[in-house]
Amino acid sequence: MNNHLRELRERMGWSQAALAEQLAVSRQTVNALETGKYDPSLPLAFRIAKLFDEPIESIFIFEE
Amino acid sequence: MTMHRFILIFVAIGIGALLLAALGHFALHWDSTLVGTWTGIGLSYLVLGGAMRLMPRWWREHCDDEYARPAGRRYVRAIWPILISYALILFFSGWMIRRGIESVPLRALLAILPVLPLLALIRVALRYFREIDELQRRIEAEAIGVSALLVSMLYFGGGLLESAKVISLDAGAVMIWVFPLLMLFYGIAKFLAVRRYR
Repeated sequence: MNNHLRELRERMGWSQAALAEQLAVSRQTVNALETGKYDPSLPLAFRIAKLFDEPIESIFIFEE
Repeated sequence: MTMHRFILIFVAIGIGALLLAALGHFALHWDSTLVGTWTGIGLSYLVLGGAMRLMPRWWREHCDDEYARPAGRRYVRAIWPILISYALILFFSGWMIRRGIESVPLRALLAILPVLPLLALIRVALRYFREIDELQRRIEAEAIGVSALLVSMLYFGGGLLESAKVISLDAGAVMIWVFPLLMLFYGIAKFLAVRRYR
């Protein structure tokens, strides 16, 4: 699953570590999310959407 | 706790154990088994410290990140007393058994005594597993699962070879190696899993 997490984070001027701290996850998790190597659980996806004040579907792009 | 600090602690324990072995050999006149045990412990710690130093930078950074987080810090804080009490009890138990104990129940109790502190690991590991984030939990689950399967298959294969009288191994030594092998395969599997999500 692709996502716009890196653009959103960079727009806010946050480092991966800063985003990780706000989401209460490790920096490795943020990196894996940004590179599309890991798809978040629903609760984490909601936390990300809430943090950036964006709907989930505008951050994560589902591809069949 | 950083990897650098872990390496220093491992090297310090290794040198300490080797000095103890030298002291036992030259000043306290220990028997060769005891001197050999402490020499083995010392060399193992030095090899482990060296191996940690040789790990790639991304792995050391991953470990630093993992142990800097609250769950990792709590895990490290909880695990040291367990490992130290395990080492002391192991030493005490081996020393008592070597002195010769006639009573079988007492010898059995002394022999399994080192297992008791390790039981505390279950609680510490479970708490760590519940506190880490979802990707870390997936990595841990993959590593533990792969390791358990590999060790089971290894022992199953060994059992079949024993039944066919192809090999003949000492049962005590084989059983003692279950846990170290689990940890070894867990470490390798975790290394590969972390690299996959890097």
